[in-house]
Amino acid sequence: MPQAAERKALEKSLQKLNENMVTLAELSELAIRKAIDGLTRRDAEVAREVFTLDQEVYGLQLEIEHTCIDLIALHAPVARDLRTVTTSLKITTDLDRIGRYAKDLSELTLQFGGKATGERADVARIREMADRTIKMVDTAIDAFVQRDAESVRNIMEVDDAVDRMHDEIFADLVRRMEDRSLDTEVGARYILVNRYLERIADHAVNIGLRVVYMVTGDWLPRVRAADRVKRYPK
Amino acid sequence: MTRKLAAEKVSAWYGPKKAIEDISLDFEEHATTAIIGPSGCGKSTLIRCLNRLHETVPKARVEGKVLLDDKDVYADDPVTVRRRVGMVFQKANPFPTMSVYDNVAAALRLNGVRNRGKLDKIVKQSLEQAALWDEVKDYLGKPGVSLSGGQQQRLCIARALAAEPEVLLMDEPCSALDPIATAKIEDLIFDLKTDYTVVIVTHNMQQAARVADTTAFMYLGHLIEVGGTRELFERPREALTESYITGRFG
Repeated sequence: MPQAAERKALEKSLQKLNENMVTLAELSELAIRKAIDGLTRRDAEVAREVFTLDQEVYGLQLEIEHTCIDLIALHAPVARDLRTVTTSLKITTDLDRIGRYAKDLSELTLQFGGKATGERADVARIREMADRTIKMVDTAIDAFVQRDAESVRNIMEVDDAVDRMHDEIFADLVRRMEDRSLDTEVGARYILVNRYLERIADHAVNIGLRVVYMVTGDWLPRVRAADRVKRYPK
Repeated sequence: MTRKLAAEKVSAWYGPKKAIEDISLDFEEHATTAIIGPSGCGKSTLIRCLNRLHETVPKARVEGKVLLDDKDVYADDPVTVRRRVGMVFQKANPFPTMSVYDNVAAALRLNGVRNRGKLDKIVKQSLEQAALWDEVKDYLGKPGVSLSGGQQQRLCIARALAAEPEVLLMDEPCSALDPIATAKIEDLIFDLKTDYTVVIVTHNMQQAARVADTTAFMYLGHLIEVGGTRELFERPREALTESYITGRFG
């Protein structure tokens, strides 16, 4: 627990942590934007840029983890300082996972190659879901940077909309594969795209909820089981 | 949880200078309450009001009530109050001319206990409770002041426990001790609350976080915030508390 004299050293480490967190968040968001861009335009060059970004995200995540451990070991932070450190530690995992999904999406871009242009999935609908997902990530990251709990309080509701979209796209892809208007291999890859986007949105929710805790100290419960029951009634 | 001790609108002065103002604070039975705050905030004054020690300072006075089992201690005999509400001070203060044994037995003898068997039993029990018995059982005749600093402080705790108090007040009990001796006292505080109600004043916030169930923060003679220790250190309600525990002042 910091005494007044130790505050300066703690402030310095917290500032470094914050700068690295902002960079990590920007890199993750850039990775997902580029991944979607590469996928939509079937651009292999852009897809490969995402691989590099993912490596940078991973490296920075490790550095942030070490900074957090040092902060806890050396300064024993409390109150908002403690919430900032623990939140950062948790959020880095979400940002890293977002970077990993961006990389996975880019791998799918390379696997699609030029082949998919004639295979009509509802690309516009998938693009719409990608835009919503990116918006969620953007909102969650902005909330973290601005220390703004209010902007993410309804993020679970936004996620519900993305989840519904995921289910509709999934059903549509299956129907198209069944009636053979969509090649099975291509359809299976779109199912993965759909799934990755939905997971990215989940990580955005995690970030949002953590930001609320960091800023206010309130835990907003994430109701997973109840959601499932609601969505899949007997 | 039951309230064992309570301050109700307690104010205290040293001559014309008001040291604490209108403090109301409950102390739960069989729990440890820590009082934290910067130097001069009045935390030691507050606990000295709880066992009527404050009034022993020349020109000092107290207003308000201190309830022990819901009865005002200021309507009772101060000696009885101090027997029920024991105290351990910042600096270990064993009686310099007395042996380890006699230090612990002193309060009992003052209260007229002469039976050697009973004295032996209570001395042993008190030293065991203070986690000191194993270290001094073969040296009970040695002077109390020949022990190490940490042992002397535990001897003072044993001395306080021998009087069979219901509440134990500890005023910065570890501030003169090294980390190992501090850890032993903290272990002890953790165990003591099974049988006693413990109130500890400390400027070491980590210590409060480790040993206390409830923590109260004082500043400039006022009680700013009181709450569960975990909550107070994780999400304090008051900006002043947050500023103090995060080291922004103090």
